[in-house]
Amino acid sequence: MSLDYVKFTPGFGKFMPKEYRDMVEHGPFGKKVSVSQVGTFKEILEEHPMCAGCAMTLFIRLAMVAFPNPEDTITVGTAGCGRLAISQAAIPFVYGNYGDQNGVASGLTRGLRLRFGDRPKDVVVMAGDGGMADIGFAQTLHSWFRKEKFTTIMLDNEVYGNTGGQESGMTNRNQVLKMAPLGKKFEKMDMLGMAKVSGCAYVATVVPNNPRRVESVIKKAVLVAREIGPSYIQAYTSCNIEYAIPTDKVMEDAKTVENDRYKFSEYITDEAKEYLSQLYGYKEYLPKPAAAVEKQ
Amino acid sequence: MYLVANIETEICAATSCKLCTQYCPEANTILYDNEAGQDKGFKYGAAYVAVDRCKGCAQCVWVCDNMAKHNAIKMEMIDQIGDTALTENVTYGEKTSSAVLANPVRGQG
Repeated sequence: MSLDYVKFTPGFGKFMPKEYRDMVEHGPFGKKVSVSQVGTFKEILEEHPMCAGCAMTLFIRLAMVAFPNPEDTITVGTAGCGRLAISQAAIPFVYGNYGDQNGVASGLTRGLRLRFGDRPKDVVVMAGDGGMADIGFAQTLHSWFRKEKFTTIMLDNEVYGNTGGQESGMTNRNQVLKMAPLGKKFEKMDMLGMAKVSGCAYVATVVPNNPRRVESVIKKAVLVAREIGPSYIQAYTSCNIEYAIPTDKVMEDAKTVENDRYKFSEYITDEAKEYLSQLYGYKEYLPKPAAAVEKQ
Repeated sequence: MYLVANIETEICAATSCKLCTQYCPEANTILYDNEAGQDKGFKYGAAYVAVDRCKGCAQCVWVCDNMAKHNAIKMEMIDQIGDTALTENVTYGEKTSSAVLANPVRGQG
């Protein structure tokens, strides 16, 4: 939880595994790194058991690169594919019981604020559509209504991928799956609408076929959650196993889905805009020149 | 044996788009060497694959062929690939990384 702990105990450096030494010496801790620099520094995500070509893995990797202060970030997850990768990173990971992740993150955020006061400690919840929109639905929505200051990221693969392909609330209507042979009978849940109604300060949809956009969205969401209120990102991360997408066509599918039903959208409250405009790199949120003249 | 991605340094160094490094789902797998190809007169360096981490999904091939349109990446059998980068041989420097190339299947009998 600080740069102090991402270092060697004196005298033990040479006995540590290469990955650990690389992380301490060439990791992103305490530096500003961006998605365009990947391949030139050691990323905090390590090897993990997720399927080859998984779009969710790509999104998690990009998210980990995009965290504004990885040394001051804690991730919270729950059962589902995503936690297999999220837990294999060099930042603390808290595993909530299935559906509890937003409740756990609420307590964690409050505790960290009591303990560390004004030093920002970011809590980022990353869970699947089942953990967030079905089983953890109540806790997710309540954390938003309570205006808990942390980021919630839904890894939306539109299916229960880890348990054999049951339909989830986020599956599209009429979608036939292995464990939903007659097709889903209901519409996909409008979590974006609910996030806006329940008071999230920043809401965005994103598809990982645009890495720079993923980076920008994650950074904004984490920064807004520090000061203003809850933020929510819904990311399309296809399940290439349950939806039978060949691994080399995953990005093609992401592009098709982005053009079809997962267009990039961003909702940001005026308060959050004002906050971001005071930070470096967010000039677009500065008041328009005409408004600035009026103020004078 | 299994397939891993192999990047043609000469084609990659001529363009250096870095798209494959951003689209690989595996972390620390497609890395970037600023000095690769400099001996052949290329200015910007090239990407390379740490083959012990590559899961062979071929997403980088699709990205290189269809988004970048450079056709620099091919899937090749691990025992026919020749000397290549392994994680243990990768060293990170200031804003770059490099690897001493080695035979990926040595010691497997």
